[in-house]
Amino acid sequence: MIEIKNVNFKYSGSDIGSLNDINLKIAPGECVLFCGKSGCGKSSIIRLFNGMIPNFHEGELGGSVSCNGEELINMPLYKIARKFGTVFQNPRTQFYTVNTTSEIAFGLENMGVAREEILRRVAETAKELEIEYLMDRSIFELSGGEKQIIAFASVYAMNPDVYLLDEPSANLDFTAIEKVRKILKLLKEKGKTIIIAEHRIYYLRDILDRALYLEDGRIIREYSVSNLDKMSYEEHEKTGIRMLELSEMNYTGGHKRNNEGECFLTYFSGFYGKKKYLEIAHARFETGKIYAVIGNNGAGKSTFLSAFSGVMKKTEGFVLENNDVLGRRKRLKNGYIVMQEVNHQLFMDSVLDEITTGKRDIDDGALSNLLSELDLAGLEERHPMTLSGGQKQRVIIASARYSNKRYLFFDEPTSGLDFYHMIKVSELLKSISNDDVYIFVVTHDYEFILSCCDAVVHIENGGLKEQYELDVVGLNRIQEFFLINKK
Amino acid sequence: MEFGVCSDKSKAFIRLDPRSKLLLLMAISIIMIGGTTVGIEGVLRIICAAIPCLLLLSIRQYKAATIYLLLLGTALFCEKQVAPYTHGMCNIILMMICGLITRFVAGYMMGWYTVKSTSVSEFITAMEHMHCPSFISIPISVMFRYFPTLSEEYKSINDAKRMRELGHPLKQPLTYVEYILVPLMMSTVRIADELSAASLSKGLSAGGKRTHICEIGIGPIDIVAIIGSITMFVLFLVY
Repeated sequence: MIEIKNVNFKYSGSDIGSLNDINLKIAPGECVLFCGKSGCGKSSIIRLFNGMIPNFHEGELGGSVSCNGEELINMPLYKIARKFGTVFQNPRTQFYTVNTTSEIAFGLENMGVAREEILRRVAETAKELEIEYLMDRSIFELSGGEKQIIAFASVYAMNPDVYLLDEPSANLDFTAIEKVRKILKLLKEKGKTIIIAEHRIYYLRDILDRALYLEDGRIIREYSVSNLDKMSYEEHEKTGIRMLELSEMNYTGGHKRNNEGECFLTYFSGFYGKKKYLEIAHARFETGKIYAVIGNNGAGKSTFLSAFSGVMKKTEGFVLENNDVLGRRKRLKNGYIVMQEVNHQLFMDSVLDEITTGKRDIDDGALSNLLSELDLAGLEERHPMTLSGGQKQRVIIASARYSNKRYLFFDEPTSGLDFYHMIKVSELLKSISNDDVYIFVVTHDYEFILSCCDAVVHIENGGLKEQYELDVVGLNRIQEFFLINKK
Repeated sequence: MEFGVCSDKSKAFIRLDPRSKLLLLMAISIIMIGGTTVGIEGVLRIICAAIPCLLLLSIRQYKAATIYLLLLGTALFCEKQVAPYTHGMCNIILMMICGLITRFVAGYMMGWYTVKSTSVSEFITAMEHMHCPSFISIPISVMFRYFPTLSEEYKSINDAKRMRELGHPLKQPLTYVEYILVPLMMSTVRIADELSAASLSKGLSAGGKRTHICEIGIGPIDIVAIIGSITMFVLFLVY
């Protein structure tokens, strides 16, 4: 039994409490979801259980957290680590070693388990999670999804009673999420307690017992699985909770625009070094449409983006627009990728400079239009790093539009977003889509595709598998891709 | 450095413990850099030059061993046979280059062998067996995985910069560096934070003794290598 009594927590340097009057009990073997909009305090709850609060993230903490009657606050981290295993959000930054087998053994090594026993437990973990093919590999060769599975395995090997998961699916594609679902089912069958902070919940359907909804660091509501099932679209939008049943998502994309411009890819291929990673014989795209670029991890979606946008140094074949050939330099001038990691794209020290790239001759009319269109008015003097994630994303889009970039590429703009913010992004894309710009969005987010995309570009094995409009037939196809049972 | 758990031992016909590799590396570097070419030191130098070649062959790095021998041979030949026929500046430059090669290449090759034949796990295990304090061994082991991660970050920041046509590396070097460094530092701090949190949550810094999945140990060949290195040291210092 895990119990939290009257917990209040405030990060040092912050004025507002991140957790307020938290009281709850979790029974052994239960699977509890913490949900709510970004910044609601669900990650802080996970940190409370694994001891990162107050040992790593400092602040003012009051109240008590106990597990089977034992107080957790002030227990040394290595003792907590034997009971609570944590899988974090970012697969790139949760490994201590450089090799998959060493990584799975890492926790056991820290516990001082004998070598033979470690080898046995590692082999057992590999067998039970069906990841023998990933053993003894360099961490740097793995895809994001594979890394996350190894993160699960390294916790699994330590055999904790409680699994803490902090948005484990945020960076994963559809296939990887299916694997996580399988692992969670196994854990549930073994009677482990599972505590998850997460936005995407469809994969938790058969595992979840109840969900606690947080707002401003308070638990304000509790949902049962059937409550979640019956939620209306408006409620999803208001609470930010994603769909439990993806098939209930309605299509709201496909707005009529004048599709005047068109561009073609002809025998277009992209290379890293001498190796060809992408080859598209023929494709045609129109302005005013939002294209969802889908495909499994490693299929070549990112390569498609970087080759098309001109970032990739070596490409062959042609990109044609209105009978002009767009060479690499021209594409780089006209193209812009809005990356998943927005912090990599902010260079200046004020929003205004960021948008105008520090140029002196500012077109005031265009600028103020852009600012109000993207809801950035009044933020001109702010430092970009002090903005929220969504604002940063909009500043980047504004800077691309201000320099007249017409090919806009988005790399997973909605990963790790709740329903409310996801809808915000889709409205934003609809608003910047006009008969002058091409928009391509690499995404694994079914709800997002249905809320704003007009057509689908399916990449597979470094080639174009198919391309289709999201009409009735197209909607069936996309549902098949995401393995969604039709209504 | 190999990213395997343990370096592939089936391929190597001389297996050395990382600790004896480090000792050999030290002995070879000191003797090759500091020694003269006459008397007993000349003999020591020949032995020291031969060891990296032998070890490279033992892990089947035939190409590296050949390059090493050719480089060393050419430098020695130039030093002895060609240099006496040159004069002035030409002579100085030739002697300098040959001197550098004959003195440094053996140590460099030994270092390369050490890195090539040791996995990260073996290296860390060896450090902990040597009672290296954890405030040294932990940062070093994190470093192995930190740099590749950092280079991934650098690549994507650089791409972002190119799309904005910011700071040309030659025309505006300072701006260029600023636009790379600021975002890189931001993500460095974040990565370091997340890495520490993840490793602490898996019980690193536990009070008790850590165990290791990777087995290293001193074998007969290691004893030969250790005694050999120490003897060479003693001879080198005495004469």
